[in-house]
Amino acid sequence: MKVNLHPKEGLLFNAFMLVFIIHSIQVGVGLAGLPRVVYLEAKHDAWISVFLAGVITSFVLVFMIQMLKQYDSADLYGIHVDVFGKWAGNSLSFIYMIYMASTFFIILMNYVEIVQVWIFPTLPTWQLSLVLILLVIYAVYGGIRVVVGVAFLSVVGTVWLAVVLFVPLQFGDFTHLFPILNVNAKQLFKGAQSTTLSMLGFEIIMFVYPFVKEKQKALFFLQIGNLITTITFTLATLISIVFFASNSLEKTIWPVLSMFKIVRLPNLERFEFIAVSFWMLIILPNMCLYLWAASKGFSRILRKKQKWGIWVIAMAAFAASFFIKSRYQMNTMTDLVAKAGFYLAFCYPVILASIVLIKKRFKRKESKHAETS
Amino acid sequence: MQKLRKWLKLVIGMSSFILLTSCGVEPKQLERLGLITAIGFDLKKENEITGTVAVSKFDPMAKVMTNLISADANTLQTLRSEENLATDQRLEMGQLRCVIYSKELAEKGIIQLVNALNRDPAVGNMVYLTIAEKDALSIINMDEKKIKVNIGTYLYNLIRQNVERELLISPTLHEFNHQFFDYGQDPVLPILKVAKDKVAISGVALFNDDKMVAKLSNDKLFYLKLLTDQYRTGSKELEFNRDEFANIINVQGGQSYGEIYNKLFISIDNLRSNTKIDLVDKKNLVFDIQVKMDSRLLETTNYLDLGKPANMKFIEKKINKEMESQIKKLLVFFQKKQVDPVGIGNEYMAHVRGKPISQEDWKKLYKNAKFDVQVKNTLTKTGTMD
Repeated sequence: MKVNLHPKEGLLFNAFMLVFIIHSIQVGVGLAGLPRVVYLEAKHDAWISVFLAGVITSFVLVFMIQMLKQYDSADLYGIHVDVFGKWAGNSLSFIYMIYMASTFFIILMNYVEIVQVWIFPTLPTWQLSLVLILLVIYAVYGGIRVVVGVAFLSVVGTVWLAVVLFVPLQFGDFTHLFPILNVNAKQLFKGAQSTTLSMLGFEIIMFVYPFVKEKQKALFFLQIGNLITTITFTLATLISIVFFASNSLEKTIWPVLSMFKIVRLPNLERFEFIAVSFWMLIILPNMCLYLWAASKGFSRILRKKQKWGIWVIAMAAFAASFFIKSRYQMNTMTDLVAKAGFYLAFCYPVILASIVLIKKRFKRKESKHAETS
Repeated sequence: MQKLRKWLKLVIGMSSFILLTSCGVEPKQLERLGLITAIGFDLKKENEITGTVAVSKFDPMAKVMTNLISADANTLQTLRSEENLATDQRLEMGQLRCVIYSKELAEKGIIQLVNALNRDPAVGNMVYLTIAEKDALSIINMDEKKIKVNIGTYLYNLIRQNVERELLISPTLHEFNHQFFDYGQDPVLPILKVAKDKVAISGVALFNDDKMVAKLSNDKLFYLKLLTDQYRTGSKELEFNRDEFANIINVQGGQSYGEIYNKLFISIDNLRSNTKIDLVDKKNLVFDIQVKMDSRLLETTNYLDLGKPANMKFIEKKINKEMESQIKKLLVFFQKKQVDPVGIGNEYMAHVRGKPISQEDWKKLYKNAKFDVQVKNTLTKTGTMD
């Protein structure tokens, strides 16, 4: 397998699009429940935790780009082979593929659950998941440029929901925010760690990097995308803390959706129906990007066609959707993926980047030695 | 290969057409639905509650718009299925506007019934919660011909217009939840009474946790709202001893004016207020309450000489004093009843670092809290006359 991937000129996309890719993949199903999970750890300072998590993410992004810069135009699959050799590298890639495929699955299932709870209690899981999976397959079939297009449309089409978030503020009680920084650092970092599921997604850069046209600008646009996400998340958490009483925030499963219940339009009593429906547009790029990246492994590692991988993963996810029935099963699955995501997306790239950087430096020295002697 | 791809596309396209018609979703035809607009709960006997619902019909041929159904059960869910058995329509909660709990029930605690509403995603967050002065049935049972609209809409409008006029604290489900689940605040709900074929608001119920412990009359409610909220167009009538105003009562050229009351009443409106509550002494629990107001003097029961600035200052001072003493009285009343509708606890918790205080501990501290009340009212206008 080649370490570097050189796609055709026509398949590349502008670095500017990374803003939309990163933002759309981070904002997803996790956001609906984000304020609560962080609040459970960091109490009323949860918004500081979320901001902290955003800062940490931006550091991890720097590491990732530093690692990718060492190569001409490689993705994680290639780097694995280059660093660890064929067998160990490919097994690591395989673990990453499973992780991305299960994230794809978790996003799907969480959204189906939200729809079932909020709008259609009698809707069977398989119907909605089949429709969504087919839609995602259709998008991924179009290749990376179509997937990026979906991400772009998703952000443009749902950005107005952020404005609606300010409506609940009129019911807010700002005393909830004080005293600021009342929890200790451990709780703050634990809170930051619990944002993982929402913050996840930025690791996609390790797979789309070869397709970026202006690679030197990638980091800049990545940081902008991450900044927008961080601001959105922090605001959503802040508004939730102000809006809910502490005990009810701890019990509300999707605080962000519950907040939309307060919005009232003259001819529409229940705004959350619109919000939940639009949420599909928010999760669509997440699913597309994860499915694309995971199925890419099939063509990179196994040298099969990527289409083959798309169908294998999609069908596996569809089959698995029959086995998840209750809320607590969902919770265990989601927690498991979030934990895996914490190690695979936050910790692992930093370690790998250090290994790559050391290795490259070592090699450079070696080649210099070879020249001088 | 080309052919296969075409087929694949066709299959995907067809299957999405079939699936996207949402065959798994039950159809809900408006004519067949009975929309619940109001629910009343009464305690029937121990371990059993009676729920009465007012149901709106969409059938244009029907003469009565609402249907009353009553049933006994232990949980809201069984109540609804019991009620469903008694009607030809499918009952839906999506248009619920008003929930009434009987006083008896409210004194025992209502959080179980409120939580059932919270858990149901079909129920909106802006449903009004109210307390019936006696039983909820008699309110829902109002003769529709006399109030002209269905009872759910009537109650909804009754509360909404009073909230908009700033005569009432908004009693939505969300606000009840917020105040209930906050350690440092207790909920307040309006009390409804039946008066001459009409439903009217007779006061507000003060809650300790989810139990109603005291009633506050409508004129006292003004001060509670002053402390918790901002007034934008409020109004208030104040009562004074006439002797205190002897100096400025204007006797125009010896003309005598008839006196209906033996006291002096002053009415102010266009009231804009802003209240700040601060914890000034953490150890001795002293709260500083600063109320700033702008208002218009509209009505006095005696002819006062308002032309002189000194007189206006005098009236302002009198009003401030009166309000201060009323607010202090009210706060002491709250302390005695162990209720905290103002949210003094929230203020306390916002200022004290360290481990969050439990609700029980706060209630103990609350008893000994002291309040420093200062009202600063400015009479900006006196209408079209001096």
